[in-house]
Amino acid sequence: MATILIENLTKVYPPTPTYPQQVQALGGVSMSVTGNVFVAVLGPSGSGKTTLLNIVAGVEEPTAGAVRVVQDGVPAQVGYVFQEPRLLPWRSVLDNMLYVQNRKSDRSKREAEFYLSMVGLSDVAHLYPAQLSAGMQQRVGIARAFLVNPDVLLMDEPFSHMDALTGRSLRDYLQRIWAHTRKTALFVTHDVGEAVELADRILMLRPGGVVFDDIPVNLPRPRRPDDAAVHAVETEVLRRFDSMEAAVRFGDQRN
Amino acid sequence: MSYATDLPTTSEFGQVPGTPQGSPAEAVHWTRKPWFVNALAVAILLVVWQYLHSVNGRVPSIDEVVSFLGVELGGGSHGGVSRGEFWGPLSISLQRYAIGLAIGIPVGGLLGLLIGGSRRFRSVLNDTVLVLLVLPSVVWAFAASLWFGIGSTAPVVAVVLTAVPFMAVNLSSGIRGLDPGLALMSDAFRVPRLRRATHLLVGGALSNAVTGVRLAFMTSWNSLLIVEWFGTASGVGWRAKHWYDAQRFEGFVAWILLFVVFITLLDWLVLRRLEHRSTRWQQQPTLTFAEGEIA
Amino acid sequence: MAYDTSVTPDAVADLSAREIRRSVMGRWGLRAGVVIGWMAFIGVWYVFSGAVLGTQQLPPPHTVAAEVWQVVTGDGFGTTLWASLFRVIVGCTMALSASIVLGMVIAYSAWWRGLLGILTRFFVSIPTVALAILALILFGASGLGPMLTAALVATPYVMSSVAQGLTRVDRRLIVMSESFGRTRSQIITGVLLPSSVLAVIGGARQAFALAWRITLLTEVFASSDGVGFQIKRSFESYDVRGLLAWTALFIGLMFIFENFVFRQLERRAFGGAHVSLATAESTR
Repeated sequence: MATILIENLTKVYPPTPTYPQQVQALGGVSMSVTGNVFVAVLGPSGSGKTTLLNIVAGVEEPTAGAVRVVQDGVPAQVGYVFQEPRLLPWRSVLDNMLYVQNRKSDRSKREAEFYLSMVGLSDVAHLYPAQLSAGMQQRVGIARAFLVNPDVLLMDEPFSHMDALTGRSLRDYLQRIWAHTRKTALFVTHDVGEAVELADRILMLRPGGVVFDDIPVNLPRPRRPDDAAVHAVETEVLRRFDSMEAAVRFGDQRN
Repeated sequence: MSYATDLPTTSEFGQVPGTPQGSPAEAVHWTRKPWFVNALAVAILLVVWQYLHSVNGRVPSIDEVVSFLGVELGGGSHGGVSRGEFWGPLSISLQRYAIGLAIGIPVGGLLGLLIGGSRRFRSVLNDTVLVLLVLPSVVWAFAASLWFGIGSTAPVVAVVLTAVPFMAVNLSSGIRGLDPGLALMSDAFRVPRLRRATHLLVGGALSNAVTGVRLAFMTSWNSLLIVEWFGTASGVGWRAKHWYDAQRFEGFVAWILLFVVFITLLDWLVLRRLEHRSTRWQQQPTLTFAEGEIA
Repeated sequence: MAYDTSVTPDAVADLSAREIRRSVMGRWGLRAGVVIGWMAFIGVWYVFSGAVLGTQQLPPPHTVAAEVWQVVTGDGFGTTLWASLFRVIVGCTMALSASIVLGMVIAYSAWWRGLLGILTRFFVSIPTVALAILALILFGASGLGPMLTAALVATPYVMSSVAQGLTRVDRRLIVMSESFGRTRSQIITGVLLPSSVLAVIGGARQAFALAWRITLLTEVFASSDGVGFQIKRSFESYDVRGLLAWTALFIGLMFIFENFVFRQLERRAFGGAHVSLATAESTR
């Protein structure tokens, strides 16, 4: 069983010549996720969501605090879906899948083909990424993340560059493939509807990278964005954001 | 110093991106057909040549050069005791060229990989490579022939030293131009170093690497000729100098034509194909079916 | 609230100081790398001159430095330098003006692009050493050869980069101008030239670097003065010290022009192209 343990995670970017002001991306985030849970991290731009994922993925160093991502006591394998597809443009779709596969075997290719078929892309495995539409490229990105048999799945606003209809069909793919594997997932988004539709639990961040709320979403799956129950949770999430903003503004006036 | 941007990339010739590449064949007027343009270019060159011959007696005429070429290639007599020689000098020069490039291109490629792939190596090695790049090939040629005498070492060393910086600079600037997001992606998936080097760095910078190979071929051929001209007693450069010293300018011009033919053949048969292969992924037509079609 | 996650401002300041220290140390590490690189370069030079080739064949760096000083303070340095520099400037100017015209022609006419493409492919496949000797045959040992060869060799490269710069011009501006009925020449002076200033400066820089190299090479064969002639004279008298000293001077010159002339020009062009108070202030 995979566990993500985050303690007092802080990240401060020093001023640079191009942006001469220091930026606090994360201000002491603590949380723990265990088991087959789908957690959405919800927040506006500048609330340190991408930084959080990068640190959890181990590609960025925190300024302070600690992260442990373990599976049965050993470091967990991470699968990452990025905001953009991030495929090697000079390799075919299938070769892009094999590029990230570290445990090579005779089954490697068949596994890659299986996950491509899960996202409906069996027919384009031999094509280059530039020959696919943006939505298809992102589907390759999703299949790639599942291919490494991850204990933990990290997703950074994977549908934010899509138009609304494409995003909707991709969310369906994600729900289907996640139901098949049920990996521990950390899903970063700024879209309230998306968070409620996908997540078991929603972690809310405010600018400066501070967690201000954490609510469970106990709704049956599969969920549709137009369900009344989904709407009710969305409304509640938005209400909490509004009261947070009001509190911040009120605090400013008091100082 | 940033000379990387000053590098001439011969691949840029003849095709300017962003402009339409012409209309369907049946609509093309005969003055726009490739054969006409080619013939026109050749005609212009021949007319300019003949004009130069008519105003300057030291420039040989076209038929003088052609008949000289026949004798030199066929091994006939140039009059008096000297005989035509072609395959001998050519095979000696080609050997030197091949050995030099076989050393210089891998070494330059490795340097380019290190400089492009690691900031530390870059800070240490970058200036040295740039100094090597800026050094005119004539200096290499002179230094090599002073150090190694008239044997085959000097030309080989000159070829190596010319090829290395071109290869290194082109490959490393290609690598540095890669999307940093792809490196981050490879970090996140814990892709091992070796696979990352071959698939991400070399794969992504392959077209730059090929440009580097092309420039290395072109410029080191030039260095080879200079060394052979000044510092050896064999090879094609020496042969051209032989006719120059004998005041037989038709012989000299004939050899220049052979150099041009050699480089052109090399370019068409090897380098252009390499380049085409390395950029294949950019040339594929895009599929245009709707997103929801498969869903 | 589920977690108490606030960080005090003091703590953030501390953390930030740590990040700053880390990034500054990274930067100093890279600077140290540059110093190490130069030390290694000079060290390898010493080793080669001491143990491999011998000080006669490859004089050590300090000997060459002394020779550079002697050359610079000696008689005729100014004349030699000016002889080459004059040729470079003239050759470079010729190449650049030809390139701007030809670049415009090939950027907007497919037919000319085809024809000039073939001709330039022919010229770039002539080894430059052959051109240098042709210059000697045609012009003898006069200053004209180096100038014309430099212009001839540099033109194809500069032309193609100017043409590329021109085709990157925002096409919507041209469409806009056409829709307002502007003439071809108005579009060229009003839209194309201003928006391709950077490409032209880039071309000039390229022309300069190429012209220097070709001038040097041609002077070796077809001149009786200039830096190339001095290099050849050192070679013919087996004077490696002089050869390296003139080479070092040449590299130094390239460095000075690159950093003090072209970078300044570029900065100025940027200030003009993107008129904003900030850049206008900083270019002063």
